[in-house]
Amino acid sequence: MIRHQITLDYALNPGWLGPFVTGLLQGQAIARRCAACAATSFPPVRTCACGSDAGEWVTLPGTATITLRTTGQDGDFALVSFDGATTQSTVKLVDVAADASGGHIIASTGGQPGLCLGARGARNAR
Amino acid sequence: MTGAALTRFDRRKDGSGFRDWAKSAFDAALAQSGLTAGDIDALFVASESDFFHFQLNPASILASELGLVGVAATRCEGGGASGQLAVHAALRAVQSGAARHAVVLGVDPSASSLSGDAIRDLYGFSFDGWTDGMTGLTATALYALSYQAFAKRHGTTMDDLAAVTIQNRGNAGGNPNAHLPRSDSAAAIGQSPVIASPYHRLHCSPLSDGAAALILSAPARVPANRNAAPQIIGAGAASDHMHLSHRADPGDFTAKTMAMARACAAAEISPQDIDLAEIYDAYAGAQLQAISALGLSDDLSNDLSRGVFAPEGRCPINLSGGLMGQGAPVGAIGVAQTATCALILEGRYHAALQPRILPRYAVADTHGGVCTTAAVTILAQGGTAG
Ligand SMILES: [Zn+2]
Repeated sequence: MIRHQITLDYALNPGWLGPFVTGLLQGQAIARRCAACAATSFPPVRTCACGSDAGEWVTLPGTATITLRTTGQDGDFALVSFDGATTQSTVKLVDVAADASGGHIIASTGGQPGLCLGARGARNAR
Repeated sequence: MTGAALTRFDRRKDGSGFRDWAKSAFDAALAQSGLTAGDIDALFVASESDFFHFQLNPASILASELGLVGVAATRCEGGGASGQLAVHAALRAVQSGAARHAVVLGVDPSASSLSGDAIRDLYGFSFDGWTDGMTGLTATALYALSYQAFAKRHGTTMDDLAAVTIQNRGNAGGNPNAHLPRSDSAAAIGQSPVIASPYHRLHCSPLSDGAAALILSAPARVPANRNAAPQIIGAGAASDHMHLSHRADPGDFTAKTMAMARACAAAEISPQDIDLAEIYDAYAGAQLQAISALGLSDDLSNDLSRGVFAPEGRCPINLSGGLMGQGAPVGAIGVAQTATCALILEGRYHAALQPRILPRYAVADTHGGVCTTAAVTILAQGGTAG
């Protein structure tokens, strides 16, 4: 048996995605609005479905409606629609009641820029 | 397809490593082809991740290990679709005249080299690493959300998930190379731990070690003793949006439908002509989504209950056991599916599973991500397509 262990300490530059990543760490939903067709993607896409890569950053209210939800050993996750976005998003649910129909974005809980949804009315804990 | 071979898929406990499995699969495929190493012009290696075997540039290493120093050696990677993408790359090399004979070698030690938790965490970066990956979404959770959307529209049930699970693992019972032959009841499946609803542990494919190899030969170069070998008559690949949440319907495997249309156009057949399929059942529901996307059924629930996809049905699916029953050494999967189709079309498969009447057309269906990359290959019985 060859035993070997490595530790990797990544410093990943998010590039154009920077505003989105910063928003997640602060609990804000920063979306991309297409300059050509006004489609608003969250998570943002660089090139819109219409083909345009021109756009501007917009801050959404942060409220979202749950479309589908999955729960189990891997955690609580959902497919949701953020108010003001024309695309859906996949999120981690943090203390969102099983019968809740929606929630509010909260600052990423993992120490990395994750997309986390807390209970409706929840505000950023940090 | 002058040569096709698979090793056992399981969690190796015999001290053997991925280079051993690669050599074993390659030797068996080469022996079947009647060719020698000197006849081979190109090697295409499918291996999903350096994290598994801790070997960057594995194609060049395997060229040496297999006694093929000097050949053009290329690694092909597309997540779970890696193996099928390697088949396509080899096919194009042979079709273009760049290679007389090409080897496709799929291998990964997905079970024995790292802990299951480590692999699960790595797999979380098979989707958009900067959004879903950093959010901690697992493969099972994303597949579960996609399947929920599908089930909502198609009316498939927990009974259907159980039926797929029971059939695939039952088929694996006839495959001595399979990792997970089991005969769980629907109740036992429902009692296994919930990983990401609706998926319980027994709805999921295992992590496996193993390898598979193919030899593709230009028609004019096929050795006389292999004139009846199965032929690849169509190949197609496509991609979908990296975000499940940005797709028109997150339950649809649209890339698979596109890949299948391209493969069928090349093969000049329609999906209804297919009478054997090896399908990418990473999860039980993914098999249902794939059957629908490939156009193998117009009435899914009815065809399932009528046994259309059972071993004795019109179009047996995953006779090998599929990923759920045979196992899932990622890079080897697409190669193994294609090898399985070839062996069955030629009547050389495991006796317990070999259909008595040889199928005419088979499809090997593979994808990576939540069908973010799709690749399918259509094979025909030797002689069928001239
Ligand atoms: Zn647009």
